[in-house]
Amino acid sequence: MTATVEPTTATSGPDPPLAEARRGFGADLWRAVARNRKALAGLVLLVFFLVLAVFPGQIAPHDPQAESYLPGLGPSSHHWFGTTAYGQDVLSQLIWGTRQSVVIAFAVGGLATVLAVLIGVSAAYLGGVADGLLSLLTDVLLVIPIFPLIIVIAAYEKNSGLFTLVIVLGALGWSYGARQLRSQTLSLRTRDFLESARVRGERKLYVIVFEILPTMTSLIVATFLGGALYAVLAAAGLQFIGLGDPSSQSWGTMLYWAENNEALGANMVLWAIMPGICVAGLGAAFALLNYAFDEISNPALRMRRLDRTIRGSSKGDRVDVSVDPERILEVRGLTVAYASDEGPVVAVERVDFDVNRGEFLGIVGESGCGKSTLLYAITRLLGPPFAGEIMEGQIVFQGRDMVALTERQLRHIRWREFSVVMQSAMNALNPVLTIAAQMRDVCKTHSNMTAKEIEERSKEVLRLVSIDPIHLHSYPHQLSGGMRQRAMIAMALLFTPDLIVMDEPTSALDVVGQRSLMVQIKELQKRLGFAVVFVTHDMSLVSHFSDRLLVMYAAHVAEFGKTRQLFDQPRHPYTRALLEAFPSIRGPRVHLLGIPGSPPDLARPPAGCRFSPRCPHVMARCRSAQPPLFDVDGDLVRCILYEKGAAPDATLATASEGAV
Amino acid sequence: MRFVLRRLGFFVVTLWAAVTLNFLIPRLMPGNAALAMMSRYKGRIQPQAMHALEIAFGIHTHQSLPAAYFTYLGNIARGHFGISLTFFPDAVSHQVLQALPWTLGLVGLTTVIAFLLGTLIGLVAAWRRGGFLDGALPPIFVITSAFPYFWLALLAIWFFSIKLGWVPESGGYDVTTTIGWSWTFIGDVLRHSILPAFTILITSIGGWILTMRNNTISVLAEDYVRMARAKGLKPWRIMWTYAGRNAILPNLAGFAMSLGFVVSGAILVEFVFNYPGVGWMFLQSVENQDYALMQALFLLLTVAVLVAILVADGATALLDPRTRDSS
Amino acid sequence: MTEPLLRTVGLTRHFRVGKLLSRQSLHAVDDVDLTIGKGEIVALVGESGSGKSTIARLLARVYKPTKGEIYFEGRPLSRLRSRKRRLAYSSDVPMVFQDPYSSINPAYRVVHGIARALRLHRGGLGRKGRRGEVERVLDAVGLVPAAAAARKFPYELSGGQRQRVGFAQALAFRPKLIIADEPVSMLDVSIRIGILNLMSELREREGVSFLYITHDVASARYIADRVLVMYAGHLVEEGPTEDVLQRPKHPYTQLLLSAVPDPRAELGVSDKTDVGEAPKVVDPKEGCRFQPRCPYAIARCETETPVLRELGTRRLVACHVAEADPQDLLDGNDAGNEQSVAGRVGRR
Repeated sequence: MTATVEPTTATSGPDPPLAEARRGFGADLWRAVARNRKALAGLVLLVFFLVLAVFPGQIAPHDPQAESYLPGLGPSSHHWFGTTAYGQDVLSQLIWGTRQSVVIAFAVGGLATVLAVLIGVSAAYLGGVADGLLSLLTDVLLVIPIFPLIIVIAAYEKNSGLFTLVIVLGALGWSYGARQLRSQTLSLRTRDFLESARVRGERKLYVIVFEILPTMTSLIVATFLGGALYAVLAAAGLQFIGLGDPSSQSWGTMLYWAENNEALGANMVLWAIMPGICVAGLGAAFALLNYAFDEISNPALRMRRLDRTIRGSSKGDRVDVSVDPERILEVRGLTVAYASDEGPVVAVERVDFDVNRGEFLGIVGESGCGKSTLLYAITRLLGPPFAGEIMEGQIVFQGRDMVALTERQLRHIRWREFSVVMQSAMNALNPVLTIAAQMRDVCKTHSNMTAKEIEERSKEVLRLVSIDPIHLHSYPHQLSGGMRQRAMIAMALLFTPDLIVMDEPTSALDVVGQRSLMVQIKELQKRLGFAVVFVTHDMSLVSHFSDRLLVMYAAHVAEFGKTRQLFDQPRHPYTRALLEAFPSIRGPRVHLLGIPGSPPDLARPPAGCRFSPRCPHVMARCRSAQPPLFDVDGDLVRCILYEKGAAPDATLATASEGAV
Repeated sequence: MRFVLRRLGFFVVTLWAAVTLNFLIPRLMPGNAALAMMSRYKGRIQPQAMHALEIAFGIHTHQSLPAAYFTYLGNIARGHFGISLTFFPDAVSHQVLQALPWTLGLVGLTTVIAFLLGTLIGLVAAWRRGGFLDGALPPIFVITSAFPYFWLALLAIWFFSIKLGWVPESGGYDVTTTIGWSWTFIGDVLRHSILPAFTILITSIGGWILTMRNNTISVLAEDYVRMARAKGLKPWRIMWTYAGRNAILPNLAGFAMSLGFVVSGAILVEFVFNYPGVGWMFLQSVENQDYALMQALFLLLTVAVLVAILVADGATALLDPRTRDSS
Repeated sequence: MTEPLLRTVGLTRHFRVGKLLSRQSLHAVDDVDLTIGKGEIVALVGESGSGKSTIARLLARVYKPTKGEIYFEGRPLSRLRSRKRRLAYSSDVPMVFQDPYSSINPAYRVVHGIARALRLHRGGLGRKGRRGEVERVLDAVGLVPAAAAARKFPYELSGGQRQRVGFAQALAFRPKLIIADEPVSMLDVSIRIGILNLMSELREREGVSFLYITHDVASARYIADRVLVMYAGHLVEEGPTEDVLQRPKHPYTQLLLSAVPDPRAELGVSDKTDVGEAPKVVDPKEGCRFQPRCPYAIARCETETPVLRELGTRRLVACHVAEADPQDLLDGNDAGNEQSVAGRVGRR
């Protein structure tokens, strides 16, 4: 596929690095195919038929046309599949018939793909009137039943040969692929790398051929495979009803003669069955490959199994359940892992923390540090795309171990006792239901409220978040971004739960909206008394709102303590560096350094302290052993600088004062 | 409202395209098939039949192409499809109307059942991810989707009719029973339709199952499904109104798009079973070179697909408020 | 004043929205005059939908202006007729995009974008020269070892590294002005500063000017010499960074600044929470576009669109109510002399 990529510019051959770039992409594709069982099965079948198609003379035991045997023989060692009513060898006919099906499949598939790419991609890329006309053409052709149309054409052009068949099938069969390629291109059109190519000054043709097409390899392959499958079936069907060339050697023609001689009734069963099996076999080769490609290009369709060997032993064990009524959530030794192509990834490792009644706890971390996994673990909402599993630990919520609860038991405490607010309301609200309907279904599940009471309550919570209740019966897409986000918070307040877990609820908003939403959350919290667990990547956002902060780094708790103290006197080098990474709008302008490197890949975490590769205070010991959490004046810090006896505060403090 | 208008506009354009294709194909074929055909029949058939051909091809002895085209359009618009050669001197439209109920009953009903059942199975398979349905179905139906309809029909006849003798092997009803609303007749029709219906069901259901399963799997990873779980809704409620209702939307679009494929399969199935429907009649007309009938049936098939697409569109608009607003 | 590097006059871009019958026009950018000096880093600040990305695309010639003109080194862009001249401009003014995950073609290795840029714009280099240049620019943005980095696929890179590739592609043109559209907003906090510092360094070492487009006022302060504030398609305030940030005059700038979370400041939760949002400007009427949200709005604001007027040294504000403070008129020079962290190259 990628081998066809050749620069159009009139200079010498391709750059060596460019050539290499293409090879690498093909190799990746190949590896993905080799891993997939369906793809392999399809490939084996296809190769089998290809060999038959190329070397029929060498493989077939008899002359397929010679009517030199007894008619209607059953299967024997001499004639594996018996003979036809005309005394021909069925097996040899099958083998010789392969060629035509394969040729039709590849020719039609190829022709349809070329047309689909040309029409689909240019429609999307050109836009405007051209797009309108081409799309209409595509849609019309998609609706007109092609097979009957081909029959109509064949009726005027009796005994049409292979060539006509290929042209007609190909010329009519591109619309499905064109439609998909068009929508895929449309979604790519606004992608920055195309804009980047345009800004660079590339010509339109270059952009289409060398920037758009290579990224759509899997869809193009799918179009080809779909076209090939359709061609094999359609050609067999046409030949079967006698619209092909009855003297040609093909499976469809075999079926035509078999049917005309009532082979099934006349005990020449294999004559009628085998060609069908061959059609189905070749078709299945394309269908399997097509399906496998779908799986490869859409990883969500693949199932990965989690390697259980890393499971700990304490999951679900009854340990002393907290009785402190002030402590509504207590997480102990929580470990969460998920399966990936490179083996199990531990996204959250032995995390402990607790939340008090009415407290605002901030969980801060960069992307991929496990904060979202942690959040969905404590709410027992793991599942795709956070398809992790709790391997170890307890989540004690209001005296119950959430890990040990069944789905059914969980359902009774959900939303009444704790609710969840997600990052993007656009995705978290069901697009096909009104806000009212989405509030109604939760009220109906958890209470006996009447329809009127539900309506009243819904309006009441909307007012709480300053949304005019007239929006209650709107669909999510009819609201503005800020309103959607507020509506989701309103929904979380329906039963005034004890805990609301929030996953970056403001990150989709602008600074001004962000600020006002934060203020509102804080006010509601003061008024209604619920506790908040607030996950964010932006430490400064929660600085004025959270009581305590939990800083996560690479699946571990790095630091956990009072917010004010953490900001005034950050202890972990990561926390310190993170704080110093924010430029300020006040005070003197200073040069900041940021943190060198990037957060580690959790599939291959560094040995020892996970921050050690980026840490300015790193020591030899940091690279050998993972430091435990040290208690420093009630603040928990995972850094050996705070080992008992060490007094690092002085050195670090002076360093930081110089910087801030 | 604009949405409805736009879809109706599309309906008209597609219909026009199909009619025009009908008009153009005989002329565009090498050697102008229409004229050749006319001269071949001249003097051999009755003037009335000749006239039928004239209408079918829109050829009025010495008319110019555009004029012929408009005469043709006019005839089609008034429902004048000419006279069938096969069932001479019966009008084509009458013949078509006789075949239509059989096809609607068999193909129409079976297709709808296959779609609904396939969608349901796909939804459940995805919902119980990793369960038996989910593990067994995809590979099976990927392969059955490659089976030729007509071949499966042959096999079914061979096994259930010839070998086991359970059901009749062809036709829509037993010629010895009287046609009418009697229980014997209805039972007979049902007995005749089991096998073809089964064939269509088996070969077409796989596609719906697979696409619905894949759609549902993608939808299950959406935030709103997680949100529904967080709300503690009952599982069946999440499955229907959160996962199912969103996952079926692309399936409805797919339904519209692959209907042409189903129709082609159904034609062959009717042919194999000698089922007295539109598909069988269509192939008969091809066999007998009854072009008037053939063209009318081709238009009918196009209209059938278009109507089904409009229904699917309507269902989409009903289920998805965004389609209603975006237009 | 000498001719600046880039200057726009009445730059306007409208988009048509709606269907045939209800054709409306969305005013993404209206009547914007801005200048960028040689070696200067200018920050363009505003909320999403304020039109700042549209300005970036107008300057990069992705969009054509509906009205107005862009002058680059004194020459109007609308006169660039030949492909050669247009290519020359696009190599002088490349662009770095917001989303590092979508700005590099996933099907190609890192080297692809850079090599294409060299091939298009510096054809005289030859194969060997190109390879050397690829390594030079990758090295310049801190991707070392450069030869290995060039052979990587985008999925093998982190977000920060990808964004560096974006800058390397821009550098390959030997640019005079890089338009950076929110280059750090999608990156992790810990690596943002690295990219901002990279921009300052490139300005110092290669003498490149930057138009830094952002919604993050603090990062604008960190690297920019001058800041322009946009609201709903209009430029509402501009001036030297420190001046604008310490003494914002436009009510919108004030609102924006008050919303910036600052852990170092005292907790000051204001009671009047603003729940308004920046409007989509469709077929606007005369009048100030911030007026519905403005606490200081007067009658005139509803009927007359304010234009930028000079209030203090190098300070421009588009507001009927804002006034120059006397202190600014007296010792405005003082603030004007303050320099950014790395801002020592460009002075007008």
